[in-house]
Amino acid sequence: MKRLLDVYVALQALFALSWCFSDAEPGPVAGSPSNGDRFKIEGRAIVPGVKTQDWISTARILVEGEEYVGFLKTDGSFAVNDVPSGSYVVEIVSPSFRFDPVRVDITSKGKMRSRLVNYIKTSEVIRQPYPLQIRSSGPHTYFMKRETWGWTDFLMNPMVMMMVLPLLIIVLLPKVVNTNDPEMRKEMEQSMNMLNPNPELPDVSEFMTKLFSKGSSKSSGGNKGSRSVAPKRR
Amino acid sequence: MAWLVVRLAISVSLLYTASAVFEDQVGKFDWRQQFIGKVRFALFDTHSQASKKLLVATDKNVFASLNSRTGDLFWRHVDKTGPEGHIDVLLMYGQDAVVVVGNGRLLRSWETTVGGLKWETVLDTGSFQAATLVGVQDYVKHVAVLKKSAISLHDLSSGSQIWVENLPDSDTVQYQTIYSGGNGLVFVLGVVPNSHIVIVEYKIEDGEIMNKKSVEAAWMSSLENSCTVISSGILLCADQITQSLYTLPLQSAEQKEMRQIHLQTLDLEVASGFQPVLTSTRPNPAQPPLSEFFLQLSPDHHILLQLKDGLIAPLRDFNPSYLAAFATSGERTVAAVMSPKNDTACSINLFSADTGRRHLDTTIIYHMDPNGGKPNRLYVHAFLKKDDSVGYRVMVQTEDHTLTFLQQPGRVVWMREEALADVVTMEMVDLPFTGTQAELEGEFGKKADGLLPMVLKRLSSQFILLQAWLAHLWKLFYDARKPRSSVKNEVTIDILSRDEFNLQKMMVMVTASGKLFGIDSKSGTILWKQYLENIQPNSVFKLIVQRTTAHFPHPPQCTLLIKDKDTGLGSLYVFNPIFGKKSQISVPALPRPVLQTLLLPVIDQDYAKVLLLIDDQYKVTAFPSTKNVLQQLQDTASSIFFYLVDSSQGKLSGFRLRKDLSTELIWEVVIPAEVQKIVAVKGKRANEHVHSQGRVMGDRSVLYKYLNPNLLAVITESTDTHQERSFVGIFLIDGVTGRIVHEAVQRKARGPVHFVHSENWLVYVYWNSKFRRNEFSVLELFEGAELYNSTVFSSLDRPHPPQVLQQSYIFPAPISTLEATLTEKGITSRHLLVGLPSGNILSLPKMFLDPRRPEVVSEQSREENLIPYAPEMPIREEWFINYNQTVSRVRGIYTAPSGLESTCLVVAYGLDIYQTRVFPSKQFDVLKDDYDYVLISSVLFGLFFATMISKRLAEVKLLNRAWR
Repeated sequence: MKRLLDVYVALQALFALSWCFSDAEPGPVAGSPSNGDRFKIEGRAIVPGVKTQDWISTARILVEGEEYVGFLKTDGSFAVNDVPSGSYVVEIVSPSFRFDPVRVDITSKGKMRSRLVNYIKTSEVIRQPYPLQIRSSGPHTYFMKRETWGWTDFLMNPMVMMMVLPLLIIVLLPKVVNTNDPEMRKEMEQSMNMLNPNPELPDVSEFMTKLFSKGSSKSSGGNKGSRSVAPKRR
Repeated sequence: MAWLVVRLAISVSLLYTASAVFEDQVGKFDWRQQFIGKVRFALFDTHSQASKKLLVATDKNVFASLNSRTGDLFWRHVDKTGPEGHIDVLLMYGQDAVVVVGNGRLLRSWETTVGGLKWETVLDTGSFQAATLVGVQDYVKHVAVLKKSAISLHDLSSGSQIWVENLPDSDTVQYQTIYSGGNGLVFVLGVVPNSHIVIVEYKIEDGEIMNKKSVEAAWMSSLENSCTVISSGILLCADQITQSLYTLPLQSAEQKEMRQIHLQTLDLEVASGFQPVLTSTRPNPAQPPLSEFFLQLSPDHHILLQLKDGLIAPLRDFNPSYLAAFATSGERTVAAVMSPKNDTACSINLFSADTGRRHLDTTIIYHMDPNGGKPNRLYVHAFLKKDDSVGYRVMVQTEDHTLTFLQQPGRVVWMREEALADVVTMEMVDLPFTGTQAELEGEFGKKADGLLPMVLKRLSSQFILLQAWLAHLWKLFYDARKPRSSVKNEVTIDILSRDEFNLQKMMVMVTASGKLFGIDSKSGTILWKQYLENIQPNSVFKLIVQRTTAHFPHPPQCTLLIKDKDTGLGSLYVFNPIFGKKSQISVPALPRPVLQTLLLPVIDQDYAKVLLLIDDQYKVTAFPSTKNVLQQLQDTASSIFFYLVDSSQGKLSGFRLRKDLSTELIWEVVIPAEVQKIVAVKGKRANEHVHSQGRVMGDRSVLYKYLNPNLLAVITESTDTHQERSFVGIFLIDGVTGRIVHEAVQRKARGPVHFVHSENWLVYVYWNSKFRRNEFSVLELFEGAELYNSTVFSSLDRPHPPQVLQQSYIFPAPISTLEATLTEKGITSRHLLVGLPSGNILSLPKMFLDPRRPEVVSEQSREENLIPYAPEMPIREEWFINYNQTVSRVRGIYTAPSGLESTCLVVAYGLDIYQTRVFPSKQFDVLKDDYDYVLISSVLFGLFFATMISKRLAEVKLLNRAWR
């Protein structure tokens, strides 16, 4: 809680200038009697590429939750009547299309303006057109995508890549580089020595091959001992 | 701002694992039913013969268009609740429906084919009296609205106001009715009770008063119901005291008195104490009404009369008859009358309105539901058949808000249970075992009687299982051969049984109208219904499951406590939740108002849990109250505590049971009612399990939870509603000792407060009136690094106060209701289910509401999987568990555990009912439904063949090598 307050204080200082506007009006008080003037929030909702009759019957305009409710006309425009002065979040709710909410401020004299909703910096003003022009940002994405299995996913998997690439190198490299050429061999030996500056230190790859060959001879020796001898004969 | 964005991004990416719906799961285990409420106005679209529209306006402030062939909704518009959205009147002309809303606040015109608004105008203030369509020369162009002190005329195509006039002497005259006969004049009729009638004549063009007259009518108190306008502008009134009908031509200047026609001259008599009702019909709003009308003399006596040349003649007497209604198709007007046939059925017949002659072969038999209410409204849809005779269909509305649409000769075309639009409370009950399942269960329950019989029993039960499985296979095979359409998945009570994972349950729903429903949670089929008559409209209900289905030979038992809100007097209704039958158990009489109920874990010899009812003299009634129970109560009396709340005085008090079933006061907490009022008190759910006693911290130490089962959360709101001074108070009080465990105040906040109290935490939502936004706050209670007494929790022996952690967050949407998921053993992580006014239900991981979320990420907090603190709570569309199946005006969410630990059953109810399953930690205990069987088996087979082939190849190679 304290954390929140800290943020508020800091932000208030930043936006002290714009703050005076919206704080001048009393906020909407629940069940306030209609002693003051009542105003009308007007606007239009647009869903690009969709006919209005396909979606307006399921949509509603909610002002501050269900405090005030409005309906859409057949051309997509709307008006929420009987709203006292105050600051409200106006939202178009539709089960199929997504609309961003807008905050509408009404002064006690009936002057209107609309701005982006910002719950953190409540006094920040980024003006929006009034009468409201609310454009849908597309259909709702209610569903998660199932993870489908495809060959590309499988091949692009880093584990598979790690397995496949060294394999390619092992298979292809000896064919590209002619190992029978004595010059080449010399060069390679040199480069190997450069890589392994301390010849006394046991080579890791050598160590590994030893270990594995031992292991494999052991495991294969367990059940197919006679056959494991065959490669050694060569 | 940048750091905020970064943090949000981190937290969102962290929580990609939260549960969501996949597109292929749509409709697999979820369903929604949409309702409209009790119908107040219903109009069939008679504009064209082929039209299927039925426009309805209901007491739930819903205006909808139904498909009259199927009963489905074409569209539905849900207005604000309460009097501001109340639909005063519904008028229809052609494609347009005109509605007056909110006691004459708004006038709306709807385009009925699309379901969009045509226009909306704000009317002048003043309470609404009547409205009518005004036609000139067979064409309706205007609508006139009568208020208490003014009349206004509006254009029908644009809604613009043509003129508004103040009514003369509106402080003494009660203007109640408006009439226009299509001749360029509008008549406003008012009455000065027991004195005279006032008739004011307005010109349509400019609202000029053409004529004003008053007529003596000392017997009259009100124009509504007892008066109507018939024929070419003749006012007709009925009076019970003088037993007469009165007529008065509205336009004539000379007649100064109403003409009295004694009912005796027609051989008729109004039943004593019954206010006679006149019903006229007006086929075309641009023309005057017909001269035929119905007069209702008693609740079951109607008579069709005709006014001809100033004389009233009876056309046909319907005695007995429950309901009567007119309908028009083309040029022909008919009257449908419902008469009793026998005890269980009614017959509806069609008569021509102008002669009273019965149409042949037009009987519709309406079978009354023995578990439903009596019919109270009849709506008739007449149409012309090909042979030019009149056919008709009727919609019958009953006391329990059911709509039944019938066609000849009595076939029910569709039915809507509109009582379900107002569900008050519900419970989910496990379904019973089938015979075989019970047999298998019985094997484990019985005592061992020797080795051999046990083995035999085991074998026989295995054989039964095998048999059942074979039968199932055979059925599958049999069904697969039949075409899809002919396989009907009809659900009846008889074939219902518990499924493998106990995912299918019986939903017992209690509605405000007093109708109980038993609904299959898998399909949404209504399996039983029971209408309780004589329920006061402002009753409160409490549903208690006393015995579940677990005790096989004993039937399950539910008890409904019905309490009158005004008097507090209660009554008990005991029933079987599976079949809906009333139980024969004798119910204790409750002569005094019931203050509190308490369901004890103590069970009687029939395995029913004991229910204690505390009356206003703090005396306790036990139900059931057998000797066994009383003995048990005496033994455990000293450890039975309960609490009472008196919100008017701000008093909470705790009591203890004495051995003689009286009580003693042990504690009392007073929260001064003049500063703040108690709005809600909630304990924890009794069927909740907490799996882990503590939380493992980053440094491998354990932070133990403060798990006090007796803890009460008390929410208060300040009486001062000024936005600077209002506050919300939270008290955590131990229900046994009365000790205030924790107290918190949220300044500059106001309700409505929604909260969930569970495990060791309390989550509440309030409105921050300074920043005009909703905020979530979470309180978590911990014992610390050590448990005081790890074996048993006792409220009386807890010397150390718990450590309380709190954190608050901004919730960027309004909230309708709040609930938490519940699972069998409490291992699965918890989610909060937030009902939004848009109709979506958001499944918010409790992980986001953790007061230990750090501001600065450290190694330890990362180890604990804590999300870094961000002030704004994210709302992601993937977390909407009901995707586009929105639930209008969601009022409550019910959660129940299933047999699977991962799965929680959720029912959201409001205007609609939505049932689904949620998997807060995904489905960890069953294979997911997208489990790729093909892949796993193809990989297995692939590997198998690969080894086979490579083995063969290796052998060949070895052989070759050996030969070399």
